[in-house]
Amino acid sequence: MKPVLVLLLTLALSGLGWAGEAGPLVTGESLPRLPQRLVEMILEAVSAPEWLVAIGSFAAAAGTVVGVFLGGFALLSLFERKVLARVQNRLGPNRAGYFGILQPVADGIKMLTKEDIVPTKAEWLLHLIAPVLIVVPAVLALGVIPYGREWLPVPLELGLVFFFAVGAMTEIAIFMAGWASGSKFPMLGAMRAISQMISYELPLMLSALAVVMMTGTLSLSGIVENQQGFHLWILPAWNILTPWGMVAGLVFLIAGIAEANRCPFDLPEGESEIVAGHMTEYSGFKYALFFMGEYLGLFAISGLWITLFLGGWQAPLPGLGFVPSWIWFFGKLAVVIFFFLWIRGTFPRVRIDQLMRFAWLFLIPLGLLTLPVAAVWEYSGRGTLGWLICGAMLLVPFVMLTVFYNRRLAPATRRYHFIE
Amino acid sequence: MIPLLLITPLILLAALGAVWKARPVHAALLLALSLSLIGGLYLMIGAEFIGLVQFMVYVGGVAILIVFSLLITRPGDEAEEVARRPRSVATGIACVVPVLGMLLYAFSKGLPEQGSEGAAPSLPIKDLGDRLFTYDLPAVLAVAVLLTAVLIGAALFARNFDKNPEPPADS
Repeated sequence: MKPVLVLLLTLALSGLGWAGEAGPLVTGESLPRLPQRLVEMILEAVSAPEWLVAIGSFAAAAGTVVGVFLGGFALLSLFERKVLARVQNRLGPNRAGYFGILQPVADGIKMLTKEDIVPTKAEWLLHLIAPVLIVVPAVLALGVIPYGREWLPVPLELGLVFFFAVGAMTEIAIFMAGWASGSKFPMLGAMRAISQMISYELPLMLSALAVVMMTGTLSLSGIVENQQGFHLWILPAWNILTPWGMVAGLVFLIAGIAEANRCPFDLPEGESEIVAGHMTEYSGFKYALFFMGEYLGLFAISGLWITLFLGGWQAPLPGLGFVPSWIWFFGKLAVVIFFFLWIRGTFPRVRIDQLMRFAWLFLIPLGLLTLPVAAVWEYSGRGTLGWLICGAMLLVPFVMLTVFYNRRLAPATRRYHFIE
Repeated sequence: MIPLLLITPLILLAALGAVWKARPVHAALLLALSLSLIGGLYLMIGAEFIGLVQFMVYVGGVAILIVFSLLITRPGDEAEEVARRPRSVATGIACVVPVLGMLLYAFSKGLPEQGSEGAAPSLPIKDLGDRLFTYDLPAVLAVAVLLTAVLIGAALFARNFDKNPEPPADS
């Protein structure tokens, strides 16, 4: 049965490949743009007005991205539980369907049929808008990431600025959720979330700024094209493989985990402390929307990390350019997401003062440091000399910071005054 | 023109609500709405950079700052706020009328001739950056120094190097 299906699919795809008049309609490279082109062709065939074609084509392009990532959301919710279970030496969901594959469907049905509770003390309008406002910026941010050589949903010159601008909406939405619930745990969770997100936004932007400085463009596709080629015939010319990029990439990754409210920085929804943070008073589909916003935000921030530091859709080894570029992007995305799950399964949650101190006293100085280091790297010829100077410039402050903080802030014996 | 007509009444309504609402959190959220709608207006007339910066600075920074300061201060009495309203409205109108009059006068005098004809002049982002970092460099440097001072100051506030913090006075 399976081989027949594969054969039929191949036949159908190759048929589509030769159906276009001006060359093949679809190649491996432009496969994700197939819905958009089909909609355009159909609308043009029925001689629709120009604005309708434009709107239809745009809706199809947006629909492709949203569809792909909603599928990804469903898969990730299962994948996360499976991976976490394996980390903890359990089996994970395995009842709904083969290998638990139907678990997202079951979860979805459960969420949809649950009662939608609005507390009497809640402000119903804000309580209703907040989950929607959390999903919207995540979807918008997904729109500007270049997924492949030909697959860039919204080719925006200011892609990076757009990404951070829509991210600002998330903070307001979380505040609304926490405040409108009219209960103390959501309020505490929202306050934690806002202070955490403001603190970690600075290192995030500083490390992204280093990339912008070196590339000279704010357009994300421009940044990806800038990382083309290979050093020594084998090492890809990605930003992460330069001295400034290593540090900036690491800072961006840590700050990104915090921005996405993931473990070990998941204090806003610390289950053992404040029930579920800003989501405590939500149930049913609104609760599911919060999770959707969180996972889509995770996709967006990992996608941006890949774009800025990991070469976006560029192939990791020479001679692999024949594989469609979007496959490379999603392969890298899968690896990064797995890395996030691994961290979640391994690290304990940090305390709130450690969290703030880590951002303000460690990540921000390092983020600021990447800017002069990037400049030195540029003017020292991007070679061995550059490696030496930049390495010294990065290592000396790093060691100084760690030694200093270890002496002043090392975890001392904690004394609990109320217990004694 | 149509987006302008659609979005300006909304901006005005949100701004009016921001000054009218007695509950501070509502006022702050309406202010954020009004500011983000202004950002949307910039985007619609093709000034992408200023629109996105408006979002980033005013919605992501200023509105959050206001909300945060609301959370860590004690709320005032709402009934008192409502009782003070007539006087506030009078003061507001006294301020608005001259400003509005001046703006209208300026617009009636100084509207550019070719206003309605042709597309708006567009400035590529590269030219904007070039100008900002050559001709306007002193201003940028001054702002940068100021912001760095603020950043270091914030880090100093966040610092807490007490080795042996005072034990809480327990009974």
